[in-house]
Amino acid sequence: MKLSTNNLVDGLKATGRKFLLAACSLFFIICFLGAAPKPDKIYIKKVRNGHYQLIVNRKPYIVKGVCYSPIPISANHEYDWWSDSANKPWLVDGKLMQEMGINTVRFYQGHENTEEVKTVIRDLYQNYGIRTIMGSWLGFWEYPCPFYGDKDFQDKVRKEVLEMVNLYKDEPGILMWILGNENNYSCLGQVNPWSTDEIDKEPDPQKQKAMKAKIYYSYINELSKEIHKLDRNHPVALGNGELIGLNFAKEFCSDVDLVACIIYRGKTFGNLFKSLKATFDRPLLLAEFGADAYDAYLKKEDQNMQAFFLESQWRQIYENLANNKEGAGNCLGGTMFEWSDEWWKHDQNSPDSWKVHDTESNWSNGSYYFDIKAEGNKNMNEEWFGIVALSEELENGLNKRIPRKAYYVVREFWKNPNLNNNKKKKAENSK
Amino acid sequence: MTKEKNPYFKFSGLISFIICGALFLCLTRANSFAQGDNQLVSLTKQVIESKTNAELYAPFDELKVIYFKDNKYPEFVDFLKSLSLKKKEIEPFVDYYIALTRYSQLKYLEEKQNWDEYFSQGNTYRDEITAAAQKSIDATGPKDALWVYARLLLWQFHKDQQDVLAEQALSDLMSSVSEYSKESNDPLPIKNAADKLLSYGEKGKSRELYKIYVSKIISSDLKDDQLKNTAGDFYKQGNLELSEAIYDVYLERIIKSLPKEEAVAILFDIAKLFAYKNEGSNDMLYAEKIFQKIEELAGKESFDEELIYLRAFNLEKAKEYQMAKDIYVDFVQRFPADSRVEQATYKIGIICAYILRDIKCGRDNFVKLAEKETTTPYVISSLYQLGLLSQWENDLEKAKGYYNKLLEKAKEDFSESLAMAKERIKEIEESRAMEYNIKTFLDVSLKGTELVGDMQKLNLNASSYILNKGKEVAITSGAYVPESGCMQVELQYLWSGDLEKTKPPLAQLSSSPSFATSYKEPGTKVINLVVIAPGGILDRNIDMLDVY
Repeated sequence: MKLSTNNLVDGLKATGRKFLLAACSLFFIICFLGAAPKPDKIYIKKVRNGHYQLIVNRKPYIVKGVCYSPIPISANHEYDWWSDSANKPWLVDGKLMQEMGINTVRFYQGHENTEEVKTVIRDLYQNYGIRTIMGSWLGFWEYPCPFYGDKDFQDKVRKEVLEMVNLYKDEPGILMWILGNENNYSCLGQVNPWSTDEIDKEPDPQKQKAMKAKIYYSYINELSKEIHKLDRNHPVALGNGELIGLNFAKEFCSDVDLVACIIYRGKTFGNLFKSLKATFDRPLLLAEFGADAYDAYLKKEDQNMQAFFLESQWRQIYENLANNKEGAGNCLGGTMFEWSDEWWKHDQNSPDSWKVHDTESNWSNGSYYFDIKAEGNKNMNEEWFGIVALSEELENGLNKRIPRKAYYVVREFWKNPNLNNNKKKKAENSK
Repeated sequence: MTKEKNPYFKFSGLISFIICGALFLCLTRANSFAQGDNQLVSLTKQVIESKTNAELYAPFDELKVIYFKDNKYPEFVDFLKSLSLKKKEIEPFVDYYIALTRYSQLKYLEEKQNWDEYFSQGNTYRDEITAAAQKSIDATGPKDALWVYARLLLWQFHKDQQDVLAEQALSDLMSSVSEYSKESNDPLPIKNAADKLLSYGEKGKSRELYKIYVSKIISSDLKDDQLKNTAGDFYKQGNLELSEAIYDVYLERIIKSLPKEEAVAILFDIAKLFAYKNEGSNDMLYAEKIFQKIEELAGKESFDEELIYLRAFNLEKAKEYQMAKDIYVDFVQRFPADSRVEQATYKIGIICAYILRDIKCGRDNFVKLAEKETTTPYVISSLYQLGLLSQWENDLEKAKGYYNKLLEKAKEDFSESLAMAKERIKEIEESRAMEYNIKTFLDVSLKGTELVGDMQKLNLNASSYILNKGKEVAITSGAYVPESGCMQVELQYLWSGDLEKTKPPLAQLSSSPSFATSYKEPGTKVINLVVIAPGGILDRNIDMLDVY
């Protein structure tokens, strides 16, 4: 077949059109895929000096967070606020949080109404840029659990955790996962004690504790590995009360990305950051810390006392962020306990008491020294930890939020984090 | 900063006087509270007319006292700033005192909960503290006391803040003191730094500085008696660390220089000073250290009955039970006629049986007393202890025998022991188990398999260990409970032994870590405690009180 010039031109045109069509199609496919919302890659970077940084959207991210559980007056922890689509407390709170500078909320656990949970995560993120740390109690409060040595119990909790990850991992607002809270204390047998037949046969109590810690932390490690298989975009944290048991975590928990500690040490965290580095070199999130706003000695609300402790605690968090030469450099930030007061906490079995802002203290902690002379040294008022107080007065169907002094003091600190570090300033000025 | 004379100091007195007067007139406007205060004029004059740095310490310190007395911190800072404008050479002092004033001001604001100023000015003041202290350090050197004081202040600030610079500040302070000690003859700043470290609980570091201080004062040709008096003065002030450091040097000297008998007599006096007593300062372990030194020097024979008893009693109160038992045994063997032999024998029994878990030794000593013809508190108590041991071993007939013998001997006296014995007999007769608290204590103490770190996690203390009949005594315990965060661990306190009429009453004692009581009858009273946590037995402890 002889091809004329015209035919050749026509042929080339036709081929070109096809190529153009294919290229355009490919371009649109890429654009379409690119336009679909997808979670940011969030990871922890170990910087050259051995410090740790949380990276979100390729930028360092300091967790300026708060534990969030907006239980209204007259309700207890069983109240399903997630489904309160009429009042949407998270929208009111999210706005106030954004104005304060909060960029993260921590949920101890989601809810069975998973679509509502997604709505809350999305609303907070899309409206206020607030990201979510999602946690799991790991069955710690289920009666008569926990049985971390029991295979069926482990499987049940594993299923719940992996379901949680599958459900929410693609939500752009998700920041990380936290496994457990203060569950490690159960290994010492002091709270929610558990055991196994094998442990019971061991006469040495120290060995018993070591056996429990091995079981518990190995289990956390398994969960962490499985989460990583499902979700490569979000770090997994080990929730831990103080540093107790982390010598075991070092041995059995190599697959967790960071430690999320619950710490109540008063004005500062003492040698926490360096101790962690020496015990289990992982980045640290202060997942629960703070102070109550009630003076149990003078028997009156004291917002200043709370603000005093929180400002000091945040100062130390900032001192230990990455790239502060003098600090341990292993802190990623913190989530304060907590956003709003919870009036049900003093007596969770008495609905009448949920309507009352109880002033009777639940526990003692000498590090909060202003009111330690209270009767029996019980100075910690569990119902008064809110950065915002709740009023019985309703505003748009919700208990009115009244920011406490800590709200403003921490806001100012975040705007201008003054570490009173003269040496650092001198060094910076000389650069 | 050095002590070299500055040309400024060559100005005539007249000019200085005029400057001082003018300065004071200016200052009085800002310091109306001090109007008419001649002291302020005089101190200002001293500062302005000073020719060396050494002359500045006293007036600055007095000025500080005047202003701090009424918490006039801002006024003092203003005053200091005005002062430095008039005489540049005093700047390091002004800087140090500005830092010190802001530091004290912040403490005051926190203490008085003056939060408005605390939150609005806190950062500014903190910045001022670090900047001014650093300026003072930069302008001074190892010859200057101010160098040490500024370092000390900086460390205190960082320590209070518990911030990341605290460690470095401490290290800087220690090396500064070390350098200063080589360059300066005035040992006082070293002591002041050591005192401050001690008050912050930095025992090891304070001891290091006290050693430097002691070496300085010794090298200043202090005579033996002066050394002894200095050590005694620090003892009276309650600074035992320093007192002991000086006594150590003094003892080293007299052991070499004095005849043995004379030296031993002095050693005994010092040991008595530090040994346990109800009131005053004690350091039981230091006392034992001296007793050991005496034993090395002059042998056990040099201890008379008073001293050997004191040594055993002191060791018992220091909770060094094995050594205490050995010395009590020695005491009983060497001085069998002493009036305290029964008490010592009873204590040997208690220590053997319940602390060292040597039931045979315990029983042997109780039997020695129980077989006596006389009826004394120790005979009665030993019969009760023998009954308890037999009852615990389930030899109920034997136990009942001991209790009955107790009833027979005690007759109407010893009502406290009688009541306990009757209760035990009732248990046996009604085939009931022994009272739970006593049984738990005996189980834990005599078997001892359930505890790790026996008697290490539970403290037990009495407000007084030597009591008169009827005098109230407070018994307190402190349990070391592993961290449990905001989930508080509920502890159960199983008190037993010679409790008598307690406050709070016995029924409420299981939730109480402390109680008060008093005794109607003399003798050695034994208090037992087992603490139970949700995970099982936490620990146990035992204590002995002597009632006269």
